[in-house]
Amino acid sequence: MAIALAGILCFVTGFLVVALGLGARLCSRSGLLLRISLSAGFGLAVFSIIYFLARWSGFLHLWAIDAALCAILLITLALVRKHRASSAPQLRASGQATSKCLLIAFAVAFPAALYSGVLRALARPYGSGWDSFAIWNLHARFLFRGGINWRDGFSPLIPWSHPDYPLLLPAAIAHFWTVMGRESTAVPAVIGLVFTFSTVGLLFSGLDILLSRTSALLGAMCLVSTPFFIDLGTWQYADVPLSFFMLATFVLLHLHDASTEPGLESRSSLALAGLAAGFAAWTKNEGVLFLVAVLLAKMWLTSRRSSPGRSPISQIAPMLLAVAPIFALIAFFKRAIAPPGDLFSDPATMLHKLGDLSRYGAVLKWYGRELLRFGEWWLIPLPIVMLVLYFLLRGNLAREKETILASAGALTLTLAGYFFIYLITPRDIYWHLRFSLNRLFLQLWPSTIFVFFLALGSKPFPTSVGDPEPSAP
Amino acid sequence: MLSCKACLWILVVACLLSSGRMLVHSPRPGEAAAENERRSGQRFAALREALPQRGVIGYIGQSQDSVGHYYLAQYALAPLVVDFSSDHRIVVGNFPSAPPQNLPANLKLIRDFGDGVLLLANEDAR
Repeated sequence: MAIALAGILCFVTGFLVVALGLGARLCSRSGLLLRISLSAGFGLAVFSIIYFLARWSGFLHLWAIDAALCAILLITLALVRKHRASSAPQLRASGQATSKCLLIAFAVAFPAALYSGVLRALARPYGSGWDSFAIWNLHARFLFRGGINWRDGFSPLIPWSHPDYPLLLPAAIAHFWTVMGRESTAVPAVIGLVFTFSTVGLLFSGLDILLSRTSALLGAMCLVSTPFFIDLGTWQYADVPLSFFMLATFVLLHLHDASTEPGLESRSSLALAGLAAGFAAWTKNEGVLFLVAVLLAKMWLTSRRSSPGRSPISQIAPMLLAVAPIFALIAFFKRAIAPPGDLFSDPATMLHKLGDLSRYGAVLKWYGRELLRFGEWWLIPLPIVMLVLYFLLRGNLAREKETILASAGALTLTLAGYFFIYLITPRDIYWHLRFSLNRLFLQLWPSTIFVFFLALGSKPFPTSVGDPEPSAP
Repeated sequence: MLSCKACLWILVVACLLSSGRMLVHSPRPGEAAAENERRSGQRFAALREALPQRGVIGYIGQSQDSVGHYYLAQYALAPLVVDFSSDHRIVVGNFPSAPPQNLPANLKLIRDFGDGVLLLANEDAR
């Protein structure tokens, strides 16, 4: 009973945050799916922050805090709705006909992924791989079981548990355990499934609103048919939650760019994108890199379209304002609670490694190899088919190139950042590549699919099998 | 020359192939019973009762055992911090695969909880 009530409160909190950001727009079916897909992840992120602050302050009356926050959000939303124009322009939702064959294929692929995901979660209630018990659930246990001594979990005596990793996932789990009054393996397992399938819903609805139903079906199918994505979603790792917040950032940024109206609604959706990027940084250290990459890309884009008298910084101010408190929270955690991480501990060795060309070759080789197999596809790796499709259609690419270029740039910068980390890693480079590169690629996979289909645009896709197809260049 | 439409259908077929394989390779309930048992920390349940509520304790295990056994011990015994060192007054002995041949001389067995789980004391420790 307690878990159901906490789950509802979590979802409603996320829903209200998203409603504040999106305003009265996106009321179509796809818009609703987008809101629902965003709500669960945002709710979990807010729950994790509430728990961390409550733990830190010692005021652990979680039911009261959760209910109060919900009430505050509800009142704010009512007040904001009153002041906003009720005739906010709607982004169109695609009502195009789609190929029946494609619909049938999706109707096969999606339940297959759902069934497989649920079976995996049931078969391995403690998660798979080592990081679930050596990092994420261990931190959750320290937060929950530790009581006033919860900081023991961030002891430098257990550096292998990466005590400097951000707390979105552990604190969200501990929040539920605390309101339940006991630990349950169901909590991390369900959170894993929620993030996995919210990412699918987000990808589908984002493409459907911005592009077409056909693109949405194809994009979502690419994701649900990536076996490692479904598998990793049930491992109780933080990579899929991170991929969710990365995708949420891109979807919200593109929705912001697609809306033509200036004013409060536009600014609040930009703030929501900032919140998503901030939550990515609160999920994993790689998220900090992503946050920097997205801000740089957004500033580049804004400078290209700068309004007279307004600097790029002032134009992305809502995004920066949303990121700031989460960034402050991460900085506080890293400075005051967690011991220093091991990556940048020895600058001299780091510089020496940067000058070693063989390391560049090793990382490049692994990048090339992993690109084709990280998803554990059977027979035909999807990136190859997508690359072929891209080259066939590159003459028909979407017109809004700058927005898409900025997103692709952010993804490339993040990937380059990962490359740099491998170059300087204090661990054995091959060991590090072997046990993490596929997960890093997977973090970017949903966003890559999203940007890829946006780049192709809706033009190339016939709406039914009998439609004439566009000519390849 | 590969047409756009053909490429799209190759994409769909590629997706379905992977979906089919994922379905076939889905685990059956109970398939990972041994691993779930290890992760449940049941081996350490009685030991937990005998340990203090908080603080730092030491750890000793067999050198050939995977470091994963140590991680699992920490996972089971949280919120105690389990340091991989016997330089503590209380030391947990974890020997899941075979009983220890000879323990270091400074460690005294306090209690054997069975299944390779030992509670040891290091009287030389601070």
